[in-house]
Amino acid sequence: MNLKLNVAHLYGDLLNTYGDIGNILVLEYYAKQMNVELTSEIVSLDQQFEESKFDLAFFGGGQDYEQVIVSKDIQNKKEALTFFIENDGPMLAICGGYQLLGEYYISAKGEKIAGINALPHYTKSQDNNRFIGDIIIKNSETGQEYHGFENHNGMTFLGNGERPLGTVISGHGNNGEDKSEGAIYKNVFCSYFHGPILARNGELAKRLLLLALKRKYPTSDFTQQEQLEIKPTY
Amino acid sequence: MSLRSSVAITAGRTSYWFLHNFLHGGTALPGKITLAIDPDVLQDLAKNYETVIITGTNGKTLTTALTVKALKAKYPQVLTNPSGSNMKQGIVTAFLTSQKTKSGKNLAVLETDEANVELVTKYVRPKVFVLTNIFRDQMDRYGEIYTTYAKILAGIKLEPTATIIANGDAPIFNSVALPNRLIYYGIDAQEDKEQQALPNTDGLLCPKCQHILHYKKISYANLGKYYCPNCDFKRPELDFSVSKIVQQTPQSSEFIVDDTTINLHIGGTYNIYNALAAYSIARFFAIGSSLIATALNDNDEKIFGRQEVINVDNKEITLILVKNPVGLDQVLEMIKTDPEPFSLAVLLNANYADGIDTSWIWDGRFENLPFNNIPNVLAGGERYRDISFRLKVAGVSDKQFLERESLTEVLEALKKMPSNRIYVLATYTAVLQLRKLLASQGYIKEGME
Repeated sequence: MNLKLNVAHLYGDLLNTYGDIGNILVLEYYAKQMNVELTSEIVSLDQQFEESKFDLAFFGGGQDYEQVIVSKDIQNKKEALTFFIENDGPMLAICGGYQLLGEYYISAKGEKIAGINALPHYTKSQDNNRFIGDIIIKNSETGQEYHGFENHNGMTFLGNGERPLGTVISGHGNNGEDKSEGAIYKNVFCSYFHGPILARNGELAKRLLLLALKRKYPTSDFTQQEQLEIKPTY
Repeated sequence: MSLRSSVAITAGRTSYWFLHNFLHGGTALPGKITLAIDPDVLQDLAKNYETVIITGTNGKTLTTALTVKALKAKYPQVLTNPSGSNMKQGIVTAFLTSQKTKSGKNLAVLETDEANVELVTKYVRPKVFVLTNIFRDQMDRYGEIYTTYAKILAGIKLEPTATIIANGDAPIFNSVALPNRLIYYGIDAQEDKEQQALPNTDGLLCPKCQHILHYKKISYANLGKYYCPNCDFKRPELDFSVSKIVQQTPQSSEFIVDDTTINLHIGGTYNIYNALAAYSIARFFAIGSSLIATALNDNDEKIFGRQEVINVDNKEITLILVKNPVGLDQVLEMIKTDPEPFSLAVLLNANYADGIDTSWIWDGRFENLPFNNIPNVLAGGERYRDISFRLKVAGVSDKQFLERESLTEVLEALKKMPSNRIYVLATYTAVLQLRKLLASQGYIKEGME
């Protein structure tokens, strides 16, 4: 059987500041090793998110100006995105994408920018400070450590039903206060890591690909794909 | 001139004389000394000069050098600041050490850091601002392209009678209405074709209605004949344009501007833009196109030295600085055009001067390189693991791949590579470290200049 996955690259032409395209390239790289043909399509301004067309979604981060434009447009995709998420659609959201899935974020200029409230977190801003630097976290369910680079002004606080992607070992994380970094809700994985995140954390790429495969092909056997060895890259 | 200024200038000139003659250096320190005595000294120094400020993310240094070259075709005395010394101290030093002409124009061409335009403008009262481009550059420092442009505009707004000579293919330079006279240059070499920029391109929003810009021609990144499909925003009419690119190799570019053929002794479409900017500035100062072409055609090693060719045991190693995604991508596009077989090494450091975030390596399309014809690909430097994985994802096979952390081992590996031509792409501190090593083994002389 020809295994295929189609990725929605949400606002890839606007939110692409920190090598975000790398996450798509890394997904392709591991997909190929799993004998899966992976394609990706940009879904941007004035376009519908046709959730039935996609097996996986990626939502990157961008500059303040672009994110404000996206925050308005994404309200038209709110219903479809929420449907995708609630129906266990796998998604990876970084920085701005992470913030926009939540209730709202306060920009560095102090404006309150609406998210789509698909996930129950919210984001405040810091005064004249950014969390910048290398970061290591540990995911308590898998025991896996994730390595990355963070660079954000936002301080995100998780809501009910969300759990962090990991506990901060070194670095700042969501808000510099509660030792949490990122968020997991159903099959949605959020993080402030760029670098990009999947380049240094192949296990997470594998997990996303397997979730997408099992959701799309519920009766198939993925033992072979599960055995793919991820070599360290950092 | 005030007493304070003249004391300051004398102190600066003396320290320059000392540093220059005894220590073979001194581009910033004399300026620093002068500024410490009289912070407003530039005002006095720059009086009686017609000053051109050249700013933008990429291409400042070469544009400045080519502009000086072209202007000298008609005006023998042109003051400039040496490569890379584009902060205030370096500019003060440049004025301190130049000779003014008694008769005729005194021209100054200053490479100016984007964040310094306002400060320098206050003192030198420029006649021309030249805007090359604005791309993402080491985000951990200056931030977004719009913030960078706002910094440049803060300077331009102080001088509404100055002329702006800007890259017309960059949408951002058409995004704010200004009272200044505007001259645009650009590249018009392809047939019109409906297209959109690649997904990881920055700065694609229409500044009037916030729709995604479309293009009829794209040179690279977001530079081209853009238009908004939703409103009337589009590329302005070009005053100077490249009508044809005849030939490009990594070492040369042949192109036609206003029926004049220019043979530039350096490759890369980005360098065609740099030469075009120099051409436009020279035309503004009433120099004829054939005189400009002759000046630009000259194979001046001092000018093209940034892309340095070093002979190491009969291997021709081209050392190229890479510092941001658009620059990296353009270098990859350039080396791709080499008809000779070549090997490739990428040396990645992530110190402060390199940018501490390495995510930008993912925006270079290494995927487009003809890896089947590249016998060896080496990943090196302090962050060799990041660049190794980037290259593997791009399709480099294990059998052609080498990984070396220390530069000593990198150099040994380069010496053993099967091809005679090797491109070494390196971040700023990796370039410095490699040059130091090459100097210690006697392949080059110490120092950057």
